[in-house]
Amino acid sequence: MFSRWNWVACGFSLVLSICSPDASGGLVQSCGHIIPESPVLALGSNFTALCILNESCLDFGNIYASQIIWKIKNRVVPKEQYREINRTVSSVTFNDTSSLATPLTCNILADGQIEQNIYGITVTVGLAPEKPKNLSCIVHQVSRFTYVMTCTWNPGRHTFLDTQFRLRYSWPGEIFPDCIPKDVNNSCSVTDIQFFVNTEIWVEATNALGKAESDPLVVDPIDIVKPLSPQNVSVSSGVLPTVLKLSWENWISGPVMTLKFNIRYRIVGDTNWMEVPSEDTASPRTSFSVQGLRPYTEYVFSIRCMKEDGVGYWSDWSEEKTGITTEDQPSKGPPIWRIIDKSHSPACWIVHLIWKALKPFEANGVILQYEVTVRDKSSLSAPVKKYNVTSTNHTLQLREGTYEVTLIARNSVGASPPSVLLIPASNSKAPVKNLRTLPKQDKLWVGWTAPNSYVLKYVIEWCLVSSSSDCIIEWQIALGDVQGIELKGIKPFKCYLITVYPLYADGQGSGQSVKAYLKQDRPSKGPTVQTKKVGKAEAVLTWNHLTVEEQNGFIRNYTILYKTIDGNETVVTVDPSKTEYTLSSLTSDTLYTVRMMASTDSGSRTGPDFTFTTQKFGKGEIEAIVVPVCLAFLLIVLLGVLFCFNKRDLIKKHIWPIVPDPSKSNIAQWSPQVPAKHNFNSKDQMYPEGSFTDVSVVEIEADDKKSFSEQDLKPFDLLKKEKTTSEGHSSGIGGSSCMSSPRQSVSDSDEGETTQNTSSTVQYSTVVLNGYRDQTPVQVFSRSESTQPLLDSEERPEDHAGGADSPAQRQQYFRQNGGQDEINTDRPCFERTKQITHANEGDLVGFVQLQISGQSSQPLGLGMEKNTQEAALSNVLQTCTEGQTVRPETVEENPLSVDEMPKCYLPQTVRQGGYMPQ
Amino acid sequence: MAAAESPSAALRRRDLCSRGIRLAGKMRADVVDLLDAYVEQQGLDASASVAAVEGVPLAAVERWDEQTGTQRLLENLAAYRAFRALLAQMLEEQREQLGEADAGLGRALAAVLLQVSAFVYHLEELLRLESRGIPGEEGDGPPPPPRLSLFEQKLRGLGVLRELAQWAVRSVRDLRQLAKPSAATSAASGTAPGLAESP
Repeated sequence: MFSRWNWVACGFSLVLSICSPDASGGLVQSCGHIIPESPVLALGSNFTALCILNESCLDFGNIYASQIIWKIKNRVVPKEQYREINRTVSSVTFNDTSSLATPLTCNILADGQIEQNIYGITVTVGLAPEKPKNLSCIVHQVSRFTYVMTCTWNPGRHTFLDTQFRLRYSWPGEIFPDCIPKDVNNSCSVTDIQFFVNTEIWVEATNALGKAESDPLVVDPIDIVKPLSPQNVSVSSGVLPTVLKLSWENWISGPVMTLKFNIRYRIVGDTNWMEVPSEDTASPRTSFSVQGLRPYTEYVFSIRCMKEDGVGYWSDWSEEKTGITTEDQPSKGPPIWRIIDKSHSPACWIVHLIWKALKPFEANGVILQYEVTVRDKSSLSAPVKKYNVTSTNHTLQLREGTYEVTLIARNSVGASPPSVLLIPASNSKAPVKNLRTLPKQDKLWVGWTAPNSYVLKYVIEWCLVSSSSDCIIEWQIALGDVQGIELKGIKPFKCYLITVYPLYADGQGSGQSVKAYLKQDRPSKGPTVQTKKVGKAEAVLTWNHLTVEEQNGFIRNYTILYKTIDGNETVVTVDPSKTEYTLSSLTSDTLYTVRMMASTDSGSRTGPDFTFTTQKFGKGEIEAIVVPVCLAFLLIVLLGVLFCFNKRDLIKKHIWPIVPDPSKSNIAQWSPQVPAKHNFNSKDQMYPEGSFTDVSVVEIEADDKKSFSEQDLKPFDLLKKEKTTSEGHSSGIGGSSCMSSPRQSVSDSDEGETTQNTSSTVQYSTVVLNGYRDQTPVQVFSRSESTQPLLDSEERPEDHAGGADSPAQRQQYFRQNGGQDEINTDRPCFERTKQITHANEGDLVGFVQLQISGQSSQPLGLGMEKNTQEAALSNVLQTCTEGQTVRPETVEENPLSVDEMPKCYLPQTVRQGGYMPQ
Repeated sequence: MAAAESPSAALRRRDLCSRGIRLAGKMRADVVDLLDAYVEQQGLDASASVAAVEGVPLAAVERWDEQTGTQRLLENLAAYRAFRALLAQMLEEQREQLGEADAGLGRALAAVLLQVSAFVYHLEELLRLESRGIPGEEGDGPPPPPRLSLFEQKLRGLGVLRELAQWAVRSVRDLRQLAKPSAATSAASGTAPGLAESP
């Protein structure tokens, strides 16, 4: 909105200006103006401006002073600051010009609403210049005849206005051109300088608000000169070895300025300057001889100058020049020491003489050679030996004794004073006391307490202790009146062995040694621990000492840290001299982790972990258990043996029954008759030729298989298989004892398995004599060589005697059936067998049973026929026949018994006149 | 007069003498150097004899030691005022002849001119300390030189510089004489006739 009004006002103003009737000399004529025109005002002052309207505008536009509005930039000045002087003049007053801004415009409200700009001025606000202060000038010598005076001053506060500074200078009768600074307001340089006339110098500052002058500086420019430093400086050595002559040229001629000088010098490589006393160089000169210098030393010189009266400024230091003083004879003898090697032979020493090269300020030149003189003090007649050496050591072979060694250093000018060293036979004098060390920054201080006797000097030896190389000795000599010395070149974290020898006028004292570190660190590695022995509750740990290179300091202690996997760590501190430690109170059969830490004054380092397991049993525990057990076992065995020995007959009877001697059998007295022919039909068919040995069967019955091991039962299983596949064998051997057919006995073998499970049959051979084709058979005795136990009845004939009805019956077959045999003797064959089987289930396991079956029934029957007791036998046979008829299933058991026989019991061909082994 | 001289005035006098001596010494050295440069630059013979420059009092004087201090100061003032005018003329002629071709010689001439002016200031200050009036320059100045040929200008310039060198030596001796404590008295007692004689 405001800007729109502005545009309107401008347009109106343009119309006013163009239509102005007084417009002459230009298209635009203002209707008024402001007084003053573009003033420069002092900051903070008051200011009044007048706006004067032209009369012509009054008539044309009906505008008056009362309509005037003052504005600063776009801000209207409050009307309280206006004052209408008359109908054409309006004034505005500002009490503080700091509130002013540019432009200040005079405006008018045309027709009461449209604001019209009449005139505007630019207002500049600033400050008058301050009086320049601190004016100072210096005249620089630029060349031999050229001098430039530079004056500086403090220009004072900022004026916000364009302020000009000018340096003015004059003589009383002559004004010189002003010096106007360029680009700066606080300094100016004047090149037209005249000396020896007091010149008045001042600074004048001027701006629109005023002018200010500094206080005048009245000075003769010659008094503020900073001359150029002397040129072409040269140094030359003179005749004397302590003097160097310094020469130079001055830039300033004598008529202009007389000069005094300042000379400084230092030794090359040194940073500290020394100065020639100023009073020695206070007069004009171009050379100076510097005295009191060291011979054969290179010096650096520099020189400066200023006006002789000291008014003015020192010049800069000249360029540095060096010079070397001439040589002089060495000022002192070299420090000498010895190392005596007695290792080869105690009586013959190898003496290493060592000495230090003289320092430059002692050598005073180049040492050309050393002269070593050795005199045997124990023998006055011994010749003095002299050696010329160019190095700083010499080795002698001397007999044990006391020697005086003299050393002289020689340069081109002369020889040094001699250095004397006594080599005594033994270090019998008093040593130093209370030897100690103390690190001091990068040096190691060694201190001691002097012995009571007067000491000429001390020799301090030190060497770096190393585990891999020999100790390389360094040494130093200290005067006898000191009780401490600082060793340089000591490395931190290294162990040094320091030995101090006091040297007396008549010998030397024994050395006192101490180990020291300049600075300690924690060890570079920790000890490696391992077990030497592990027990149930203790473990012996061992470790090796760290090498001196690894220690980095004095090992103050070792720390053993051990723990179980899930337990707390236990810490044990061990003396550093030990290499073994026993951990006790450990838990048996437990895995422990142990590590070890070495500590110095500066820290610790832990070694690698080591694990071990404690033993389950302690020492002797196993022995304590095993030995009694063994003893008990032996005792039991012994008792068992004794028991067996006592019961041997009983055991023998059970394990190794007595096989009756058939030759002693009653059958030996028995002569068989011709057997009944009808009983052997079948037999004759199978064995048509010759005699035939019948087979008897020993049947072993057991209650159940549990009583036998599987191994024992295997043969039976095997036999079952064989039986199913080889019918011929079983038919030939087994046959039914109750006259059953062989086929039947084989085919029914499976059905009788239930019976087989509870009984076993072992076949024993039975000697059967048959006559050939009704001929009387030869009486042949066949005997079983089996070791199988025989029937109990055979072992105990008394039982048979008690149980049998007649001795003839006992001779018909061999049978071992315990006491039941006697009972069942009269019973039918089938029933008896069955009874035996049942009886053996309980208490006759393993016992064998002799069973006559199949073909054997015939010889048995034959035997019985020949026996006198035929009636009894016939009963038996009848019973068997009946049994076969009535209960055929029971008959089938017999072939099963035959099938289960081991192969070794298979019947074999009977040899005439011998037994048939099994 | 001497008794009436305040310590500050004596100090001022001694200081002015000292500076004057050193200024005269420097002026002589500079003039000698300038002579060599001038002879070489103007193509003159260093041994050429030059007649006395008109308007410049001769440095050589009989019975020099009998002169009073004021007399010495007045003679010096008259001489150096003349040298100032001659050197200014030489400098103008030099610029006319060579323009800016040989600025070095012009700067040297300007420097010597400045030193002469400074020495005149010293002499005037010393005369003020003697409570004597300073003679006006109008009558002391040399008469306007006749129009000379270029060679004559060079020879005259050589003569001016030689005489200035002589006067520099004499001025040193005069001021040393004035610097002596006894000289102040004699100068004071002896200057009256001199001053009376001066125009």
